[in-house]
Amino acid sequence: MPTRDLTFAIVGSGGDGVITTGDMLAQTGASVGLHVMKVEAYGPQIRGGESSCTVRVSADPIYAQGDLVQVLVVFNWADFAQFRGEILAAPDAIVLYEEADDTPREEIDLGPETDDVRWVPVPFIELAKESAGTKLAKNIVTLGLLSELFMLPQEPLEQAIKGKFAKKKPEVLEANLKGFEAGKIHASKITEAASGKRMQYTAGEPMLLMSGNELSAVAALHAGCRFFAGYPITPSSEVLHLLSELMPKVGGYLVQTEDELSAIGAVIGGSFAGVKSMTATSGPGLALMTEMLGLASMAEIPAVIIDVQRGGPSTGLPTKSEQSDLWQALWGSHGDAPRVVLAPADVEDCFHATVAAFNIAEEAQVPVIVLSDQFIAQRRETLSMLTLDHEVTGRQVPSAGDLRDYKRYKETKSGISPMSWPGMKGGEYQTNGLEHTEDGSPTSMFLTHEKMNAKRYRKLRRVRDKYSFYRHYGAEKADVGIICWGSSKGPVKEAVLKANGRGERVAAFVPQLLYPFPFHEFQEFIKTVSEVIVVELSYSAQFYKYLQTFLELPEGHTYVYKRSGGKNLTVSEVEDKIQKVLEMSAMRREVLV
Amino acid sequence: MSAAGVKVELKPGAYKSGLKPVWCPGCGDFGVLNALYRAMAKLQIEPWNTVILSGIGCSSRLPGYVKTYGFNGVHGRALTLATGVKVARPELTVIAVGGDGDGLAIGGNHLIHSCRRNLDILYILMDNEIYGLTKGQVAPTTPTGDKTKSTYWGNPEPSVDPCELAISTGATWVARGFSGEMKGLTEMISAGLEHNGFSFLNVMSPCVTWRGDDQFKEMKAKVAQLPEDYDPSRRKNAVKYTREKDKITTGVLYEVEAPSLTDQLEDMKTRAMAGNGSQSTKEMLSSFYPSF
Ligand SMILES: Cc1ncc(C[n+]2csc(CCOP(=O)(O)OP(=O)(O)O)c2C)c(N)n1
Ligand code: SF4
Ligand SMILES: [Mg+2]
Repeated sequence: MPTRDLTFAIVGSGGDGVITTGDMLAQTGASVGLHVMKVEAYGPQIRGGESSCTVRVSADPIYAQGDLVQVLVVFNWADFAQFRGEILAAPDAIVLYEEADDTPREEIDLGPETDDVRWVPVPFIELAKESAGTKLAKNIVTLGLLSELFMLPQEPLEQAIKGKFAKKKPEVLEANLKGFEAGKIHASKITEAASGKRMQYTAGEPMLLMSGNELSAVAALHAGCRFFAGYPITPSSEVLHLLSELMPKVGGYLVQTEDELSAIGAVIGGSFAGVKSMTATSGPGLALMTEMLGLASMAEIPAVIIDVQRGGPSTGLPTKSEQSDLWQALWGSHGDAPRVVLAPADVEDCFHATVAAFNIAEEAQVPVIVLSDQFIAQRRETLSMLTLDHEVTGRQVPSAGDLRDYKRYKETKSGISPMSWPGMKGGEYQTNGLEHTEDGSPTSMFLTHEKMNAKRYRKLRRVRDKYSFYRHYGAEKADVGIICWGSSKGPVKEAVLKANGRGERVAAFVPQLLYPFPFHEFQEFIKTVSEVIVVELSYSAQFYKYLQTFLELPEGHTYVYKRSGGKNLTVSEVEDKIQKVLEMSAMRREVLV
Repeated sequence: MSAAGVKVELKPGAYKSGLKPVWCPGCGDFGVLNALYRAMAKLQIEPWNTVILSGIGCSSRLPGYVKTYGFNGVHGRALTLATGVKVARPELTVIAVGGDGDGLAIGGNHLIHSCRRNLDILYILMDNEIYGLTKGQVAPTTPTGDKTKSTYWGNPEPSVDPCELAISTGATWVARGFSGEMKGLTEMISAGLEHNGFSFLNVMSPCVTWRGDDQFKEMKAKVAQLPEDYDPSRRKNAVKYTREKDKITTGVLYEVEAPSLTDQLEDMKTRAMAGNGSQSTKEMLSSFYPSF
């Protein structure tokens, strides 16, 4: 029986070429129109140390990383041990491991249910040395082996190898091609091992292969961003990297500042000067930006801040995902500081959310935080070319009449006042982190403060009315309704669709606008479900507690599934919770009858 | 930073915003403000194409008193805001101002990096050797031993010479002025505005309230001029006039030519756009199709 969906994991240490192997697999899949999701994981070491690459390849659309690995390649069991509890083998997985590594089986923890695993020793090092003359080629041997065993497209793989070594000496390319052949030949000797796991698919048009960070960068330019200031921090730096190439190509400017204080200051300065401006960071950087986020709220200056969340607090888990910057994003400020918080729910969404962030920031003259996270920001997956029919808006500028007696912070019904920028004659004004009157002059008067607070908060109403982003999956009327946000959506969506496939009435609500919250839509959703599960990767349940501050979740019918980040949410975890709650509600019905 | 010609001649008074300064009578910052009005009039700077940014402190109130675009930001971050304005809109005239605490303590890191980048702006630091706004605590420029509100037993720390710091971290124009010397100060401000690159002007600007009336007199008595034949293009000459104990030597200590950040970024843009011009979103995305 062939399959349409396979998850590979390759594990080794830095020098083993694990990531290159995963990259090439992913690129090859994308080139023939397969759906691909690639996730990398590392230890905290800068070079060397354990690394893993998980690649899910499917003939059908996919929404999550495969929970269980069907094909596991292990170059070194000591490295594998570092991912204990994170990389789990499927019950009937094939484990292709380095023959020369004689770690006893009982010391290897593949996961909870692995009795039927097929253990296949492979002399990776020996094959590489024999064919290519160097053990460095073992990743290329692996590619030959995998492609032959699982019927992966070989021609693009060969192309990829040629591309990779094009700039090297011809002997190097030749040696690697020999390695590839050697892998294929070895595969033909162990074909049985792959029974039931050969891919079946029809090749189609190539797909884009991108990460959330890359999409955020391109989206910013699409939305008209022409100034970026940032300070490197994992897992957000790819935004800085890509923009450092692209920004000057579209006539814009970029500065790597001395710290995040400077990054947000420069963004506020650029935006004050009339140019759409953005920064990207992670939790520790957002913490440093907090004071000036308040400045942007107070001075009503548009600013877009992408926060790619990682495990925290403090330096935490720099390379791994978590959903625990929520409170910081919503409330991290002194004073009453209105801002908008958006959360992309998948890789492609990073594009849409970033464009929306600029529109909202410019229209409402507020800072907008885009709460992305490592899982969607750094994993690469396939997508079709975007339609790019997004509305791109800008800020309201003063009319000639306004400029005759210009009041930058003029009282208006919506709270939004036309904003001039340098170059506009008659539009000169002083802006201020101090409370100020309509013309921008500092004041400490209570009455003005109260009036201006109301003005600044009033602007959020329009944001909520115009942008009630949320997603709704699954049954119209459901026994179980899941509420989650951000990257949890992928596994939740897949679990919901699977449950629906079994005839279970399950649904999910995923707000992408977190603040101001799409309250009415959420109330409508709650009316259609009997039991509620809040799902999130935050140990202290930040999302659940946030919802509780303004919503009444059904008493006695609300469950919370929360845990720390550091390991991505899996479909089976969500399915398990759905089953438990379904059983519970069935039990309750019986009792009531 | 040059100003294009304008039809109506702007007098110094034309640069007044109309807002009355909150400074104590006799505060040195009045002198800086007046010199700035004069220098702007001298260069006929267009207010609508000019941005003045500051942090927090008595001195940082200055932008409110000038009829240009103004930004009174948060403590220590004037230069971060100015970086954004200048980089995003290189054609604007950008001036940052603030106090010794603002620019050397909480914002010291930004000063170092603005010097190093040769950011094309004028930065005026009003040095009163004290924290004025917060009522008299020790500052990085307070002399060792001085008693302040926060150094009951006398300041235990050495002070910094801001000009020396600026020279050593890459500023390409460094001057020292005195708020009581209107003519010299006006000339320095206009020269600093015309310089291409980071212009750092440290103005000794007494705080009558927290350093007493004597501070003005003492400073005035110490003021000295650079020699007639002084050559500001040599770092080693300039360094002789830093860390002075008994003198406050005023004038342009250091001036060299080097590409400013604006020059560098414009060059980068030209290289990036050479041949193909601006890229469309679709082109940018298409580069992510697998290519072997
Ligand atoms: C983050 C932060 N910390 C502290 C303060 C309080 N504060 C305001 S101004 C100032 C120092 C002012 O001294 P200086 O910069 O020398 O300006 P001056 O008033 O002397 O002109 C301090 C500590 C603040 N506003 N923000
Ligand atoms: S306290 Fe000092 S620095 Fe502040 S306004 Fe008064 S004299 Fe000037
Ligand atoms: Mg001071």
